[in-house]
Amino acid sequence: MTSTLDLERRGAAGSASQRALRPGASFLSGLSWRRSFNGIGLILPLGLLALWQTATSLQWIQPVFLPSPLATAGAFWKMLTKQNLHLDFLSSISIVAQAFVYGSLAAVGLGIAAGLSRKVEQFFGPTFDTIRHIPGIAWLPLIVLWLGIGAPAKILVIAKSVFFPVFLNTLSGIRNVEKRYVELGEVLTLTRWQLVRRVLVPSAVPSIMVSLRYSAGLAWALVVVAEGLSGLEGIGFLIFRAQGLLLTDQLVVCMVIIGFVGFAIDRTMYALQRRVLRWKQGFDG
Amino acid sequence: MTQRGSLDIRKVSKNYEVDGRPLKVLSDINLHVGPGEFISIVGPSGCGKSTILRLILGLDTGYEGDILLDGTRIAGTSLDRGIVFQDHRLLPWLTLEQNVSLALENAPLPAAEKRRTVAQHIALVGLQGFETVFPHQLSGGMAQRGAIARGLAVRPRILLLDEPLGALDALTRLRLQEELLRIWKAEGVTMILVTHDVDEALYLSDRVVVMNSGPGRIVGEVAVDLPTPRVRTSPAFASLKQRVLSLMGEYELEVA
Repeated sequence: MTSTLDLERRGAAGSASQRALRPGASFLSGLSWRRSFNGIGLILPLGLLALWQTATSLQWIQPVFLPSPLATAGAFWKMLTKQNLHLDFLSSISIVAQAFVYGSLAAVGLGIAAGLSRKVEQFFGPTFDTIRHIPGIAWLPLIVLWLGIGAPAKILVIAKSVFFPVFLNTLSGIRNVEKRYVELGEVLTLTRWQLVRRVLVPSAVPSIMVSLRYSAGLAWALVVVAEGLSGLEGIGFLIFRAQGLLLTDQLVVCMVIIGFVGFAIDRTMYALQRRVLRWKQGFDG
Repeated sequence: MTQRGSLDIRKVSKNYEVDGRPLKVLSDINLHVGPGEFISIVGPSGCGKSTILRLILGLDTGYEGDILLDGTRIAGTSLDRGIVFQDHRLLPWLTLEQNVSLALENAPLPAAEKRRTVAQHIALVGLQGFETVFPHQLSGGMAQRGAIARGLAVRPRILLLDEPLGALDALTRLRLQEELLRIWKAEGVTMILVTHDVDEALYLSDRVVVMNSGPGRIVGEVAVDLPTPRVRTSPAFASLKQRVLSLMGEYELEVA
Protein backbone atom coordinates (compact mmCIF):
# COMPACT_ATOMS: atom_id res chain seq x y z
CA MET A 1 0.00 0.00 0.00
CA THR A 2 2.55 2.48 1.12
CA SER A 3 4.89 1.61 -1.71
CA THR A 4 2.23 2.12 -4.37
CA LEU A 5 1.42 5.51 -2.93
CA ASP A 6 5.07 6.34 -2.80
CA LEU A 7 5.52 5.43 -6.42
CA GLU A 8 2.55 7.58 -7.38
CA ARG A 9 3.95 10.43 -5.46
CA ARG A 10 7.38 10.19 -7.03
CA GLY A 11 5.82 9.82 -10.44
CA ALA A 12 3.80 12.95 -9.92
CA ALA A 13 6.56 15.08 -8.49
CA GLY A 14 9.33 13.95 -10.82
CA SER A 15 12.65 15.71 -11.16
CA ALA A 16 12.83 19.48 -11.28
CA SER A 17 13.39 19.52 -15.02
CA GLN A 18 10.50 17.17 -15.75
CA ARG A 19 8.30 19.26 -13.57
CA ALA A 20 9.34 22.36 -15.43
CA LEU A 21 8.36 20.90 -18.77
CA ARG A 22 4.90 19.66 -17.91
CA PRO A 23 2.10 22.19 -18.06
CA GLY A 24 -0.22 22.13 -15.09
CA ALA A 25 1.67 19.25 -13.49
CA SER A 26 -0.14 17.97 -10.46
CA PHE A 27 2.12 19.46 -7.83
CA LEU A 28 -0.48 19.14 -5.11
CA SER A 29 -0.16 15.36 -5.03
CA GLY A 30 3.29 15.73 -3.45
CA LEU A 31 1.77 17.59 -0.53
CA SER A 32 -0.78 15.03 0.55
CA TRP A 33 -1.41 13.88 4.08
CA ARG A 34 -0.35 10.38 3.26
CA ARG A 35 3.23 11.40 3.57
CA SER A 36 2.95 11.80 7.31
CA PHE A 37 1.08 8.52 7.79
CA ASN A 38 3.44 5.89 6.67
CA GLY A 39 4.35 2.92 8.79
CA ILE A 40 7.64 4.11 10.19
CA GLY A 41 5.97 6.67 12.45
CA LEU A 42 3.88 3.97 14.11
CA ILE A 43 6.80 1.84 15.32
CA LEU A 44 7.67 3.97 18.32
CA PRO A 45 4.12 4.51 19.67
CA LEU A 46 3.32 0.80 19.29
CA GLY A 47 6.56 -0.05 21.09
CA LEU A 48 5.67 2.31 23.93
CA LEU A 49 2.21 0.81 24.16
CA ALA A 50 3.74 -2.68 24.40
CA LEU A 51 6.11 -1.48 27.11
CA TRP A 52 3.20 0.06 29.01
CA GLN A 53 1.23 -3.18 28.76
CA THR A 54 4.24 -5.22 29.92
CA ALA A 55 4.97 -2.90 32.82
CA THR A 56 1.40 -3.22 34.10
CA SER A 57 0.86 -6.96 33.51
CA LEU A 58 4.16 -7.83 35.16
CA GLN A 59 3.23 -5.46 38.02
CA TRP A 60 6.43 -3.41 37.69
CA ILE A 61 4.33 -0.47 38.77
CA GLN A 62 1.25 -0.68 40.97
CA PRO A 63 -2.09 -0.15 39.15
CA VAL A 64 -2.88 2.81 41.39
CA PHE A 65 0.13 4.64 39.96
CA LEU A 66 -0.10 3.27 36.42
CA PRO A 67 -3.31 1.59 35.21
CA SER A 68 -3.08 -0.88 32.33
CA PRO A 69 -3.92 0.25 28.78
CA LEU A 70 -7.10 -1.81 28.93
CA ALA A 71 -8.18 -0.27 32.24
CA THR A 72 -7.48 3.14 30.73
CA ALA A 73 -9.65 2.35 27.73
CA GLY A 74 -12.38 1.21 30.12
CA ALA A 75 -12.11 4.44 32.08
CA PHE A 76 -12.36 6.38 28.84
CA TRP A 77 -15.59 4.57 27.95
CA LYS A 78 -17.01 5.19 31.41
CA MET A 79 -16.12 8.89 31.32
CA LEU A 80 -17.64 9.22 27.89
CA THR A 81 -20.92 7.42 28.66
CA LYS A 82 -21.47 8.28 32.31
CA GLN A 83 -19.58 11.49 33.02
CA ASN A 84 -20.16 13.60 29.92
CA LEU A 85 -16.50 13.67 28.94
CA HIS A 86 -17.45 15.16 25.58
CA LEU A 87 -18.82 18.27 27.30
CA ASP A 88 -15.53 18.90 29.05
CA PHE A 89 -13.72 18.25 25.82
CA LEU A 90 -15.92 20.68 23.90
CA SER A 91 -15.49 23.32 26.56
CA SER A 92 -11.68 23.09 26.27
CA ILE A 93 -11.73 23.07 22.48
CA SER A 94 -14.07 26.03 22.35
CA ILE A 95 -11.83 28.09 24.62
CA VAL A 96 -8.78 27.25 22.53
CA ALA A 97 -10.52 27.97 19.24
CA GLN A 98 -11.81 31.35 20.36
CA ALA A 99 -8.53 32.35 21.97
CA PHE A 100 -6.61 31.30 18.86
CA VAL A 101 -8.87 33.17 16.47
CA TYR A 102 -8.99 36.39 18.50
CA GLY A 103 -5.30 36.33 19.40
CA SER A 104 -4.02 35.58 15.94
CA LEU A 105 -6.36 37.97 14.12
CA ALA A 106 -5.32 40.81 16.39
CA ALA A 107 -1.68 39.80 16.03
CA VAL A 108 -1.70 39.63 12.23
CA GLY A 109 -3.56 42.94 12.01
CA LEU A 110 -1.33 44.81 14.42
CA GLY A 111 1.76 43.02 13.13
CA ILE A 112 1.11 44.23 9.61
CA ALA A 113 0.42 47.75 10.87
CA ALA A 114 3.61 47.78 12.92
CA GLY A 115 5.54 46.23 10.04
CA LEU A 116 4.42 48.98 7.69
CA SER A 117 4.92 51.88 10.04
CA ARG A 118 7.82 52.58 12.37
CA LYS A 119 5.54 54.94 14.27
CA VAL A 120 3.06 52.17 15.09
CA GLU A 121 5.92 49.90 16.08
CA GLN A 122 7.41 52.55 18.34
CA PHE A 123 4.03 53.30 19.86
CA PHE A 124 3.37 49.70 20.88
CA GLY A 125 6.95 48.48 21.26
CA PRO A 126 7.80 49.22 24.92
CA THR A 127 4.35 48.20 26.20
CA PHE A 128 4.26 44.97 24.26
CA ASP A 129 7.80 44.01 25.10
CA THR A 130 6.97 44.33 28.79
CA ILE A 131 3.58 42.62 28.78
CA ARG A 132 5.03 39.83 26.66
CA HIS A 133 7.36 38.87 29.47
CA ILE A 134 4.61 38.43 32.03
CA PRO A 135 3.46 34.85 31.34
CA GLY A 136 -0.18 34.28 30.56
CA ILE A 137 -0.45 32.10 33.65
CA ALA A 138 0.75 35.00 35.80
CA TRP A 139 -2.06 37.12 34.37
CA LEU A 140 -4.69 34.51 35.11
CA PRO A 141 -5.21 35.11 38.86
CA LEU A 142 -5.85 38.82 38.34
CA ILE A 143 -8.05 38.31 35.33
CA VAL A 144 -10.07 35.64 37.14
CA LEU A 145 -10.71 38.22 39.87
CA TRP A 146 -12.13 40.52 37.21
CA LEU A 147 -13.91 38.13 34.91
CA GLY A 148 -14.66 35.16 37.13
CA ILE A 149 -13.68 31.53 36.69
CA GLY A 150 -15.59 31.02 33.43
CA ALA A 151 -14.36 30.84 29.87
CA PRO A 152 -13.74 34.58 29.18
CA ALA A 153 -10.78 34.82 31.57
CA LYS A 154 -9.12 31.79 30.01
CA ILE A 155 -9.81 32.97 26.48
CA LEU A 156 -8.21 36.31 27.28
CA VAL A 157 -5.12 34.80 28.84
CA ILE A 158 -4.60 32.25 26.08
CA ALA A 159 -5.26 34.84 23.37
CA LYS A 160 -2.50 36.90 24.93
CA SER A 161 -0.11 33.95 24.66
CA VAL A 162 -1.13 33.36 21.04
CA PHE A 163 -0.79 37.03 20.20
CA PHE A 164 2.90 37.63 20.78
CA PRO A 165 4.56 34.94 18.67
CA VAL A 166 2.23 35.75 15.79
CA PHE A 167 2.66 39.50 16.19
CA LEU A 168 6.45 39.33 16.24
CA ASN A 169 6.62 36.97 13.28
CA THR A 170 4.22 39.05 11.23
CA LEU A 171 6.23 42.16 11.97
CA SER A 172 9.54 40.60 11.03
CA GLY A 173 7.98 38.89 8.00
CA ILE A 174 6.88 42.25 6.64
CA ARG A 175 10.23 43.84 7.40
CA ASN A 176 12.22 41.05 5.76
CA VAL A 177 10.63 41.44 2.35
CA GLU A 178 13.27 41.32 -0.36
CA LYS A 179 14.15 44.79 -1.53
CA ARG A 180 14.15 43.71 -5.16
CA TYR A 181 10.45 42.86 -4.93
CA VAL A 182 9.65 46.28 -3.52
CA GLU A 183 11.64 47.78 -6.38
CA LEU A 184 9.62 45.71 -8.83
CA GLY A 185 6.45 47.11 -7.27
CA GLU A 186 7.83 50.59 -7.86
CA VAL A 187 8.60 49.78 -11.51
CA LEU A 188 5.06 48.44 -11.99
CA THR A 189 3.75 51.68 -10.39
CA LEU A 190 1.89 49.82 -7.65
CA THR A 191 0.16 52.04 -5.13
CA ARG A 192 0.98 51.70 -1.44
CA TRP A 193 -2.09 49.53 -0.90
CA GLN A 194 -1.34 47.32 -3.91
CA LEU A 195 2.22 46.89 -2.67
CA VAL A 196 0.96 45.83 0.76
CA ARG A 197 -1.56 43.39 -0.66
CA ARG A 198 0.46 41.90 -3.49
CA VAL A 199 4.02 42.06 -2.21
CA LEU A 200 4.52 42.83 1.48
CA VAL A 201 1.84 40.63 3.06
CA PRO A 202 2.40 37.58 0.82
CA SER A 203 6.12 37.72 1.52
CA ALA A 204 5.34 37.68 5.27
CA VAL A 205 2.98 34.69 5.01
CA PRO A 206 5.64 31.98 5.48
CA SER A 207 6.75 33.41 8.80
CA ILE A 208 3.14 34.07 9.86
CA MET A 209 2.24 30.45 9.13
CA VAL A 210 5.11 29.13 11.23
CA SER A 211 4.00 31.22 14.18
CA LEU A 212 0.34 30.19 13.77
CA ARG A 213 1.31 26.54 13.89
CA TYR A 214 3.44 27.12 16.95
CA SER A 215 0.86 29.15 18.82
CA ALA A 216 -2.00 26.75 18.04
CA GLY A 217 -0.07 24.07 19.90
CA LEU A 218 0.78 26.50 22.65
CA ALA A 219 -2.88 27.47 23.08
CA TRP A 220 -3.90 23.84 23.51
CA ALA A 221 -1.21 23.25 26.11
CA LEU A 222 -2.19 26.40 27.98
CA VAL A 223 -5.87 25.61 28.21
CA VAL A 224 -5.01 22.54 30.26
CA VAL A 225 -3.01 24.66 32.69
CA ALA A 226 -5.64 27.41 32.84
CA GLU A 227 -8.45 24.94 33.52
CA GLY A 228 -6.35 23.24 36.15
CA LEU A 229 -5.85 26.55 37.92
CA SER A 230 -9.42 27.80 37.78
CA GLY A 231 -12.85 26.63 36.77
CA LEU A 232 -14.99 23.53 37.10
CA GLU A 233 -14.91 21.96 33.67
CA GLY A 234 -12.63 21.04 30.81
CA ILE A 235 -9.89 18.50 30.26
CA GLY A 236 -7.48 20.45 32.44
CA PHE A 237 -9.97 20.50 35.31
CA LEU A 238 -10.55 16.75 34.96
CA ILE A 239 -6.86 15.94 35.07
CA PHE A 240 -6.27 17.78 38.34
CA ARG A 241 -9.46 16.45 39.87
CA ALA A 242 -8.43 12.91 38.92
CA GLN A 243 -5.10 13.45 40.67
CA GLY A 244 -6.83 14.67 43.82
CA LEU A 245 -9.16 11.67 43.88
CA LEU A 246 -6.37 9.26 42.91
CA LEU A 247 -8.33 8.21 39.82
CA THR A 248 -5.14 7.43 37.93
CA ASP A 249 -6.96 5.77 35.05
CA GLN A 250 -8.98 8.94 34.38
CA LEU A 251 -5.82 11.01 34.70
CA VAL A 252 -4.12 8.91 32.03
CA VAL A 253 -7.22 9.14 29.81
CA CYS A 254 -6.97 12.92 29.95
CA MET A 255 -3.25 12.82 29.15
CA VAL A 256 -3.82 10.62 26.14
CA ILE A 257 -6.61 12.87 24.88
CA ILE A 258 -4.42 15.94 25.29
CA GLY A 259 -1.69 14.22 23.33
CA PHE A 260 -3.94 13.11 20.47
CA VAL A 261 -5.71 16.43 20.16
CA GLY A 262 -2.37 18.26 20.18
CA PHE A 263 -1.17 15.94 17.44
CA ALA A 264 -4.31 16.57 15.38
CA ILE A 265 -4.02 20.34 15.82
CA ASP A 266 -0.41 20.30 14.73
CA ARG A 267 -1.06 18.15 11.67
CA THR A 268 -4.00 20.29 10.67
CA MET A 269 -1.91 23.44 10.95
CA TYR A 270 0.87 21.77 9.01
CA ALA A 271 -1.50 20.75 6.21
CA LEU A 272 -2.86 24.29 6.15
CA GLN A 273 0.65 25.68 6.02
CA ARG A 274 1.59 23.50 3.07
CA ARG A 275 -1.60 24.39 1.29
CA VAL A 276 -1.15 28.13 1.79
CA LEU A 277 2.55 27.98 0.92
CA ARG A 278 2.23 25.74 -2.09
CA TRP A 279 4.04 28.40 -4.11
CA LYS A 280 7.13 27.87 -2.03
CA GLN A 281 9.72 25.32 -2.92
CA GLY A 282 11.27 23.69 0.10
CA PHE A 283 13.29 20.73 1.17
CA ASP A 284 11.06 17.68 0.98
CA GLY A 285 13.15 15.25 2.98
CA MET B 1 1.15 47.63 -32.30
CA THR B 2 3.27 49.05 -29.54
CA GLN B 3 4.07 52.71 -29.69
CA ARG B 4 7.79 53.05 -30.39
CA GLY B 5 9.50 55.50 -28.11
CA SER B 6 12.63 57.50 -28.73
CA LEU B 7 15.01 58.18 -25.91
CA ASP B 8 17.47 61.00 -25.42
CA ILE B 9 20.07 61.01 -22.72
CA ARG B 10 21.74 64.41 -22.48
CA LYS B 11 24.83 65.20 -20.45
CA VAL B 12 23.91 62.83 -17.69
CA SER B 13 26.30 62.48 -14.74
CA LYS B 14 25.82 60.78 -11.45
CA ASN B 15 27.72 60.73 -8.18
CA TYR B 16 27.44 58.39 -5.27
CA GLU B 17 28.51 59.41 -1.82
CA VAL B 18 31.14 56.98 -0.54
CA ASP B 19 32.52 57.64 2.95
CA GLY B 20 31.49 61.28 2.65
CA ARG B 21 33.33 61.75 -0.63
CA PRO B 22 31.58 61.90 -3.98
CA LEU B 23 32.34 59.03 -6.35
CA LYS B 24 31.62 59.71 -9.99
CA VAL B 25 29.80 56.70 -11.47
CA LEU B 26 28.55 58.28 -14.67
CA SER B 27 30.23 61.07 -16.52
CA ASP B 28 28.71 63.07 -19.36
CA ILE B 29 26.55 60.37 -20.93
CA ASN B 30 24.97 61.33 -24.24
CA LEU B 31 22.88 58.84 -26.14
CA HIS B 32 20.07 58.91 -28.64
CA VAL B 33 17.93 55.86 -29.29
CA GLY B 34 15.53 56.12 -32.23
CA PRO B 35 11.99 54.70 -32.33
CA GLY B 36 12.03 50.93 -32.75
CA GLU B 37 15.79 50.74 -32.49
CA PHE B 38 17.52 47.88 -30.66
CA ILE B 39 20.72 49.03 -29.03
CA SER B 40 23.10 47.30 -26.67
CA ILE B 41 25.31 48.77 -24.00
CA VAL B 42 28.40 46.71 -23.27
CA GLY B 43 31.20 47.29 -20.82
CA PRO B 44 33.04 45.77 -17.90
CA SER B 45 31.29 45.33 -14.55
CA GLY B 46 31.10 48.54 -12.61
CA CYS B 47 31.09 50.82 -15.66
CA GLY B 48 27.64 52.10 -14.74
CA LYS B 49 25.65 50.43 -17.51
CA SER B 50 23.02 49.11 -15.13
CA THR B 51 22.95 52.48 -13.39
CA ILE B 52 21.91 54.08 -16.69
CA LEU B 53 18.97 51.67 -16.87
CA ARG B 54 17.95 52.54 -13.31
CA LEU B 55 17.97 56.22 -14.24
CA ILE B 56 15.89 55.59 -17.38
CA LEU B 57 13.46 53.53 -15.31
CA GLY B 58 13.07 56.36 -12.86
CA LEU B 59 14.14 54.28 -9.85
CA ASP B 60 16.93 56.74 -9.15
CA THR B 61 16.27 60.42 -9.67
CA GLY B 62 19.45 61.90 -8.21
CA TYR B 63 21.48 62.78 -11.29
CA GLU B 64 22.55 65.75 -13.42
CA GLY B 65 21.44 66.23 -17.00
CA ASP B 66 18.28 65.18 -18.77
CA ILE B 67 16.68 61.95 -19.84
CA LEU B 68 13.87 62.47 -22.30
CA LEU B 69 11.38 59.92 -23.58
CA ASP B 70 9.73 61.23 -26.73
CA GLY B 71 10.85 64.69 -25.77
CA THR B 72 9.43 64.65 -22.23
CA ARG B 73 11.74 64.53 -19.23
CA ILE B 74 11.16 61.35 -17.28
CA ALA B 75 10.03 61.68 -13.66
CA GLY B 76 9.77 58.54 -11.53
CA THR B 77 8.69 55.13 -12.72
CA SER B 78 5.98 54.74 -15.32
CA LEU B 79 4.35 52.05 -17.36
CA ASP B 80 5.75 53.52 -20.57
CA ARG B 81 9.11 52.01 -19.64
CA GLY B 82 9.34 48.25 -19.11
CA ILE B 83 12.21 46.25 -17.67
CA VAL B 84 13.48 42.70 -17.61
CA PHE B 85 15.94 42.13 -14.77
CA GLN B 86 18.75 39.61 -14.69
CA ASP B 87 16.95 37.65 -11.96
CA HIS B 88 13.53 37.01 -13.47
CA ARG B 89 11.97 38.63 -10.40
CA LEU B 90 8.63 36.94 -10.83
CA LEU B 91 6.86 37.07 -7.48
CA PRO B 92 7.07 33.50 -6.14
CA TRP B 93 3.58 33.58 -4.60
CA LEU B 94 1.84 34.50 -7.86
CA THR B 95 1.25 32.18 -10.79
CA LEU B 96 2.74 33.08 -14.15
CA GLU B 97 -0.57 34.56 -15.23
CA GLN B 98 -0.93 36.61 -12.05
CA ASN B 99 2.65 37.84 -12.40
CA VAL B 100 2.00 39.13 -15.90
CA SER B 101 -1.34 40.63 -14.80
CA LEU B 102 0.37 42.49 -11.99
CA ALA B 103 2.10 44.64 -14.62
CA LEU B 104 -1.33 45.65 -15.91
CA GLU B 105 -2.78 46.40 -12.48
CA ASN B 106 -2.64 50.13 -13.11
CA ALA B 107 -2.93 50.12 -16.89
CA PRO B 108 -5.97 52.02 -18.14
CA LEU B 109 -7.64 49.00 -19.74
CA PRO B 110 -10.95 47.24 -19.12
CA ALA B 111 -10.67 43.88 -17.32
CA ALA B 112 -11.49 41.79 -20.39
CA GLU B 113 -8.85 43.59 -22.40
CA LYS B 114 -6.31 42.96 -19.62
CA ARG B 115 -7.05 39.24 -19.64
CA ARG B 116 -6.67 39.15 -23.40
CA THR B 117 -3.36 41.04 -23.24
CA VAL B 118 -1.99 38.68 -20.58
CA ALA B 119 -2.91 35.59 -22.62
CA GLN B 120 -1.48 37.18 -25.75
CA HIS B 121 1.88 37.93 -24.15
CA ILE B 122 2.16 34.53 -22.51
CA ALA B 123 1.62 33.10 -25.97
CA LEU B 124 4.14 35.55 -27.46
CA VAL B 125 6.91 34.10 -25.29
CA GLY B 126 5.74 30.54 -25.90
CA LEU B 127 4.46 29.72 -22.41
CA GLN B 128 0.88 28.69 -23.20
CA GLY B 129 -0.20 25.92 -20.86
CA PHE B 130 1.89 27.26 -17.97
CA GLU B 131 -0.46 30.07 -16.94
CA THR B 132 -1.30 28.62 -13.54
CA VAL B 133 2.18 27.42 -12.68
CA PHE B 134 4.23 29.01 -9.89
CA PRO B 135 7.67 30.44 -10.74
CA HIS B 136 9.56 27.76 -8.80
CA GLN B 137 8.13 25.18 -11.17
CA LEU B 138 9.59 26.94 -14.20
CA SER B 139 13.12 26.46 -15.49
CA GLY B 140 15.43 29.49 -15.56
CA GLY B 141 14.85 30.11 -19.24
CA MET B 142 11.08 29.80 -18.92
CA ALA B 143 10.99 32.14 -15.95
CA GLN B 144 12.97 34.69 -17.95
CA ARG B 145 10.46 34.39 -20.81
CA GLY B 146 7.75 35.04 -18.25
CA ALA B 147 9.62 38.16 -17.17
CA ILE B 148 9.82 39.29 -20.80
CA ALA B 149 6.06 38.76 -21.14
CA ARG B 150 5.51 40.86 -18.02
CA GLY B 151 7.85 43.57 -19.32
CA LEU B 152 6.00 43.79 -22.63
CA ALA B 153 2.43 43.32 -21.40
CA VAL B 154 1.94 47.00 -20.59
CA ARG B 155 3.06 47.80 -24.13
CA PRO B 156 5.85 50.11 -23.01
CA ARG B 157 7.34 52.58 -25.44
CA ILE B 158 10.74 51.27 -24.51
CA LEU B 159 11.85 47.96 -23.04
CA LEU B 160 15.00 47.86 -20.95
CA LEU B 161 16.84 44.57 -20.60
CA ASP B 162 19.36 44.39 -17.75
CA GLU B 163 21.55 41.38 -18.59
CA PRO B 164 18.39 39.30 -18.95
CA LEU B 165 20.24 36.24 -20.21
CA GLY B 166 23.29 36.57 -17.97
CA ALA B 167 22.25 33.90 -15.49
CA LEU B 168 21.25 31.27 -18.05
CA ASP B 169 23.26 28.36 -19.41
CA ALA B 170 24.90 28.78 -22.82
CA LEU B 171 22.37 26.79 -24.82
CA THR B 172 19.31 28.42 -23.26
CA ARG B 173 20.95 31.78 -23.77
CA LEU B 174 21.35 31.18 -27.53
CA ARG B 175 17.77 30.04 -27.77
CA LEU B 176 16.47 33.07 -25.92
CA GLN B 177 18.54 35.39 -28.08
CA GLU B 178 16.57 34.08 -31.06
CA GLU B 179 13.38 34.60 -29.05
CA LEU B 180 14.32 38.17 -28.24
CA LEU B 181 14.94 38.93 -31.91
CA ARG B 182 11.64 37.37 -32.88
CA ILE B 183 9.78 39.30 -30.18
CA TRP B 184 11.48 42.54 -31.11
CA LYS B 185 10.46 42.07 -34.74
CA ALA B 186 6.92 41.11 -33.77
CA GLU B 187 6.38 43.96 -31.29
CA GLY B 188 8.64 46.56 -32.84
CA VAL B 189 9.32 48.09 -29.43
CA THR B 190 12.42 50.17 -28.80
CA MET B 191 14.89 48.08 -26.80
CA ILE B 192 18.00 48.79 -24.78
CA LEU B 193 19.97 45.73 -23.78
CA VAL B 194 22.69 45.90 -21.17
CA THR B 195 25.08 42.98 -21.39
CA HIS B 196 28.72 42.09 -20.92
CA ASP B 197 28.53 39.53 -23.69
CA VAL B 198 29.90 41.22 -26.83
CA ASP B 199 28.68 38.41 -29.10
CA GLU B 200 25.18 38.78 -27.75
CA ALA B 201 25.23 42.53 -28.31
CA LEU B 202 26.47 42.18 -31.90
CA TYR B 203 24.07 39.37 -32.67
CA LEU B 204 21.00 41.24 -31.49
CA SER B 205 21.32 44.95 -31.89
CA ASP B 206 21.47 47.68 -34.52
CA ARG B 207 24.09 49.53 -32.57
CA VAL B 208 26.51 48.69 -29.78
CA VAL B 209 27.43 51.38 -27.28
CA VAL B 210 30.68 50.67 -25.51
CA MET B 211 31.28 51.92 -21.96
CA ASN B 212 34.22 51.87 -19.65
CA SER B 213 34.68 52.51 -15.97
CA GLY B 214 36.38 55.00 -13.71
CA PRO B 215 34.23 57.06 -14.14
CA GLY B 216 31.52 55.28 -16.17
CA ARG B 217 31.47 56.83 -19.61
CA ILE B 218 30.70 56.02 -23.22
CA VAL B 219 33.94 55.37 -25.09
CA GLY B 220 32.53 54.59 -28.50
CA GLU B 221 29.82 53.20 -30.65
CA VAL B 222 29.74 50.49 -33.28
CA ALA B 223 26.95 50.33 -35.84
CA VAL B 224 26.08 46.75 -36.69
CA ASP B 225 25.11 46.87 -40.35
CA LEU B 226 25.07 43.13 -40.91
CA PRO B 227 22.03 41.43 -42.43
CA THR B 228 19.99 39.14 -40.19
CA PRO B 229 20.18 36.33 -39.28
CA ARG B 230 23.73 37.12 -38.35
CA VAL B 231 26.43 34.53 -38.48
CA ARG B 232 28.60 34.65 -35.38
CA THR B 233 31.54 33.05 -37.15
CA SER B 234 31.56 35.32 -40.20
CA PRO B 235 34.63 37.54 -40.81
CA ALA B 236 32.48 40.67 -40.76
CA PHE B 237 31.11 39.69 -37.32
CA ALA B 238 34.62 38.99 -36.08
CA SER B 239 35.94 42.32 -37.22
CA LEU B 240 33.08 44.16 -35.50
CA LYS B 241 33.81 42.18 -32.36
CA GLN B 242 37.44 43.22 -32.59
CA ARG B 243 36.38 46.86 -32.83
CA VAL B 244 34.15 46.60 -29.78
CA LEU B 245 36.82 44.84 -27.75
CA SER B 246 39.48 47.33 -28.69
CA LEU B 247 37.14 50.16 -27.68
CA MET B 248 36.83 48.45 -24.31
CA GLY B 249 40.61 48.32 -24.21
CA GLU B 250 40.46 44.57 -23.92
CA TYR B 251 41.64 43.44 -27.31
CA GLU B 252 45.35 43.89 -26.68
CA LEU B 253 44.97 41.81 -23.55
CA GLU B 254 43.24 39.04 -25.42
CA VAL B 255 45.95 38.62 -28.09
CA ALA B 256 48.79 38.97 -25.59
